[in-house]
Amino acid sequence: MAQIFPRWTNKMPAVLILIITGGLVSAIGFFWYFGSPKFTDVGYRPKQPVPFSHKLHAGDLGMDCRYCHTQVEFSAHANIPPTQTCINCHKIIATDSEKLLPVRESWAEDKPINWVRVHELPDYAYFNHAVHINAGVGCVSCHGNVRAMPEITQSEPLSMSWCLDCHRDPDMNLRPASAITDMEWKPSDDHLKFVAQLKAEKNISPPTDCAACHR
Amino acid sequence: MKMKSELKNKKYWRSINQLVDSPDFRKKLYNEFPSLDTNGDDPIDRRTFISIMGASLALATFSGCRRPLEEIVPYVKNPEDIVIGQPLQYATTLSIGSTAYGVLVRSREGRPIKIEGNEAHPSSLGGTNTFMQASILGLYDPDRSEHIYRKGIVKSWDQFVEFWRSIRPEYIESGGEGLAVLSEAFNSPTLHSLKQEFARQYPKATWVVYEPVSDENISQGIKIATGKSLLPRYNFDKAAVILSLDSDFLNLETDSVVNSRKFMDSRRLKSERDSMNRLYCVESSFTLTGAIADHRLRMKSSLIGSLTYALAQELKRSGLKITLPGGLGMTTTGSYSEKWLRITAQDLLKNRGKSLVVAGRRQPASVHVLTTLINEALGNVGSTVDYYDSSQISQSSIKNFASLSTDITAGKVSTLIMLGGNPAYNAPDNFDFKNLLKKVRNSVHMSLYRDETGMHSDWHVSEAHYLEAWGDTRSLDGTTSVVQPLIEPLYGSHSQIEMMNLIISGLDTNGYELVRDTWTKIFNRLDDKAIWRRTIHDGVYKGSEVQTVNIAIQSDTVTDDLRRYAKVVNKLDRKALEVVLMADSNVFDGRFANNGWLQEIPDPVTKIMWDNAACISPKTADDLGVSSNDLVKLTLGNNSLEIPIWIQPGQANQSISLTLGYGRDQSGRVGNAIGFNTYKLRTSDNLDFGIGLKVAATGETHAFACSQDNHSMEGRPIIREATLTEYRDHPNFAPEMIDTFPLESLWEDHKYTEGYQWGMAIDLNTCTGCNGCAIACQSENNVPVVGKEQAALGREMHWIRLDRYYNGDENDPEMVHQPVACQHCEMAPCEQVCPTAATVHSKEGLNTMAYNRCVGTRYCANNCPYKVRRFNFFNFTKDLPEVEKMVQNPDVTVRSRGIMEKCTYCIQRINAAKVTAKLDGRDVQDGEVVPACQAACPTNAIVFGNINDPDSAVSKQKKLNRNYEMLKEFNTRPRTSYLAKIRNPNPLMEKV
Repeated sequence: MAQIFPRWTNKMPAVLILIITGGLVSAIGFFWYFGSPKFTDVGYRPKQPVPFSHKLHAGDLGMDCRYCHTQVEFSAHANIPPTQTCINCHKIIATDSEKLLPVRESWAEDKPINWVRVHELPDYAYFNHAVHINAGVGCVSCHGNVRAMPEITQSEPLSMSWCLDCHRDPDMNLRPASAITDMEWKPSDDHLKFVAQLKAEKNISPPTDCAACHR
Repeated sequence: MKMKSELKNKKYWRSINQLVDSPDFRKKLYNEFPSLDTNGDDPIDRRTFISIMGASLALATFSGCRRPLEEIVPYVKNPEDIVIGQPLQYATTLSIGSTAYGVLVRSREGRPIKIEGNEAHPSSLGGTNTFMQASILGLYDPDRSEHIYRKGIVKSWDQFVEFWRSIRPEYIESGGEGLAVLSEAFNSPTLHSLKQEFARQYPKATWVVYEPVSDENISQGIKIATGKSLLPRYNFDKAAVILSLDSDFLNLETDSVVNSRKFMDSRRLKSERDSMNRLYCVESSFTLTGAIADHRLRMKSSLIGSLTYALAQELKRSGLKITLPGGLGMTTTGSYSEKWLRITAQDLLKNRGKSLVVAGRRQPASVHVLTTLINEALGNVGSTVDYYDSSQISQSSIKNFASLSTDITAGKVSTLIMLGGNPAYNAPDNFDFKNLLKKVRNSVHMSLYRDETGMHSDWHVSEAHYLEAWGDTRSLDGTTSVVQPLIEPLYGSHSQIEMMNLIISGLDTNGYELVRDTWTKIFNRLDDKAIWRRTIHDGVYKGSEVQTVNIAIQSDTVTDDLRRYAKVVNKLDRKALEVVLMADSNVFDGRFANNGWLQEIPDPVTKIMWDNAACISPKTADDLGVSSNDLVKLTLGNNSLEIPIWIQPGQANQSISLTLGYGRDQSGRVGNAIGFNTYKLRTSDNLDFGIGLKVAATGETHAFACSQDNHSMEGRPIIREATLTEYRDHPNFAPEMIDTFPLESLWEDHKYTEGYQWGMAIDLNTCTGCNGCAIACQSENNVPVVGKEQAALGREMHWIRLDRYYNGDENDPEMVHQPVACQHCEMAPCEQVCPTAATVHSKEGLNTMAYNRCVGTRYCANNCPYKVRRFNFFNFTKDLPEVEKMVQNPDVTVRSRGIMEKCTYCIQRINAAKVTAKLDGRDVQDGEVVPACQAACPTNAIVFGNINDPDSAVSKQKKLNRNYEMLKEFNTRPRTSYLAKIRNPNPLMEKV
């Protein structure tokens, strides 16, 4: 009697296993990579109502971050400045710039500017700027080199595992208070010695409990 | 130990169903998921549910692909003082009738979100009650009146001003002929001076004050006894023996918050060597004061007068110099033994100057005459009771209200201005106020709600909430305080003082200027501006207290009055059924009917939610052949009412008590058509109680939502209590009440010796069961309101519940309350079964919830022996009106459907304190973290702190020998512990 299945079918189970496993692995890999905040969120750069350039203000003109984000050292939120802060200078500088029209309108009509949020955490995560700044975590650690950004862009994934990486080992992200807003600061050779000292002095032991951020 | 076994044998029960072990109760107890028991009438069955779920899941997969766009909207000009994310606190004052409660209001970015007590205010001392806590929700009530109406058509304030200016000259000319004002009771310096101005401007006009629940009887009684307009303030902290006559001074009487604090100050036992006060209580319906009492005597409210007279006689016989007229011939027999009376009298006599007799506001004036005589004779005046001049207070007067209605009937009133109040709903039924309103040409009603009265008035003017407008109030002791707005009126409403100023002067003046003018006169000093700023900051004008008034008994008027009263008492049909009408613990007189928090919090005694009932004793129910849930028709004279029966253990026989404030039809979405309108039985002859009630069954039944059997912890020694004598004999009775074998863990123990270790101690001896903590928690933690249907299934969401237990005879039991929230066990049963590690332990010993990890298996709730976990069966918050969402605390996650939640020890407050300490470079100090429940508690029964610090307040509490951990035998090692309750019965009385 002739064989029902040709000989090559003997290889089928192995091939099938290979295809299924390969498919599964690539599917998981696909979502692992393309679904992670590293891919979906990093590089997020929405269009803002006013094309405000951090590169121009904080970079070229050398303004300190805290000129606008005044409350970052003592509040949970690094506040977006009120229109008044813009007008402080722009009542004199570039008074007829078309780009600044929404700012002048806001000031004249007493209507706020609706900025688009870039760095967004889920509502069930409570981040506090003040404790991080006071512990010695620089702006650049989470926000990237803002001084080089013509348009503000998310540069880190801001995912929970990314937060935890630093909470478990914060050493490389700690810096002296004088360099908090410095985007070009580089750790010195005896950085670890400095960190040990800072940690002892400020009692820095980043919590990894759920309740540290979730409540 | 004999004693130990006796204490152990005390049987506690929560409901009669449990006491008789009815099949219903067992069914509920052994049902693994009582909250899923929908009795088969759920419109969606499992299959439909799964198919709907499948479809929505498929759709949801795709809708999640796009990143939501979120905006940041900064200020144009940053207001001074506002730091985004940092709360600000402002002092202001809440008035309920003529009582003022000083509060501190927390505001986030200009939005008031939480109420706390103001320590500097004499009627708060830092404590709050449910009404104060829930008043914040009233601000954001979407059913509040937003407009001004004339005959149902929306008008503007300017149009109203124009209207008034057009008719004002007529009244100026006639001296106010035909003009009348009907206001609520008040004690506001500005409104008081406007009232005087009104009388000058319109000499022929009248100003009538009406409150459905008032202290009129008390002030009348004192006036008869002393000839002066006075009101009492009690110093319970100075009293060793207290006799309460139908007075719920711990819950519903005036100044209950500060009364509770001072009363409990004498009950904070540090050891068995301390002494405590003793409370005798005579009352008809079970109240929270009766629950605390060491001796409670059930008695019809109508007979308490004769008991008071008998007591005065007994005191006189025992040699007390009391100005009691003899030969009144008052019948004094009643449902009490002579021995009870004698022992109580002896105890009062033994404690002259340290005793106190208090009668409730529902007792007639003559009873207050008698208590004034007794207190004066016992030397208590100036010690345990102080009298203050009340002539500045505009108090309710039913007599004036009656003459106003006569005037209206006679057509003598052409314009009636109603400042607040809701007389069309809550005036005595015999006045038929709704129809009276038709006889007034111009009726103007100003109120927070367009309610029953607003709907029947020509003009309805929306009133500003107390958090929106300037005003002022005065406490009885003279302390003046400012009512400071925290937010611009949401609907552009105006305040009562602005309205009255318009009525008088025709000028539309800002409330701030009016208040400021009054206060310039109050201060009368040069550094006016500085002291004004100081007063605004503190909430009270320090040093404005007035002197107490000395009293002298006027024997003539006393004799006349008591003669008259003896006749009234002797005429009483002592066997007839009586009905008692009293304020409700949740909605008071109906003014809080539209407040979801207050509707859903179980009544502290009956544990009924979203309803009122006719409370009746088990024996009387038997006699009448009715049982709980039966809808009956009550008839009193010409008035009748249908209302369901609730069998209430501890209710006096032959006495049915009804609470006011329900059955409204113009209250709003929350309060409409809930409960039964008991004002229908209330006439000016029986404002407080009536005799000769007839009960007829209708054959129908009513379904209650009652939490008394929810979350039951079957038959274990959960409550531990002893008498003072037993405590002295066995100081360690509480921890020793259960036999614990050496408890070992299956797992390696965590080391909780470093850093902060949070813990809580709750003193059952000072807890009154008032629900203040529960509402505070609801407000702080965004706890949703679920509604009557869901609540009836046991799905209420309160993170802290007040378990109420009875023990003893079903007709005359004792009552104990126990607040139960998450115990934060170190060996938490919930953590061990969570499949997603959504509930885990923190290094600081907290049992935490990560909501975003929870998948809603509810294993944790099932495994929790304390039954403190709450599941969101629906998304209760999503569909709330936008304005109501404004009350939510931005520091706490708003939970969604399918999520488990429970007490977090107010983790947001712990974290805030830790951040502040960290920024200051120091450790968190003891007392820096105050959870919402502790902050609200009027008696300081709850103490929270770091148990790792041996000197912290909570560690000290936990070291007391009354300390015990609930269900310790399960090796759960709870962080919350309880201090056992101690009662102080008179040893002589036990033999009665």
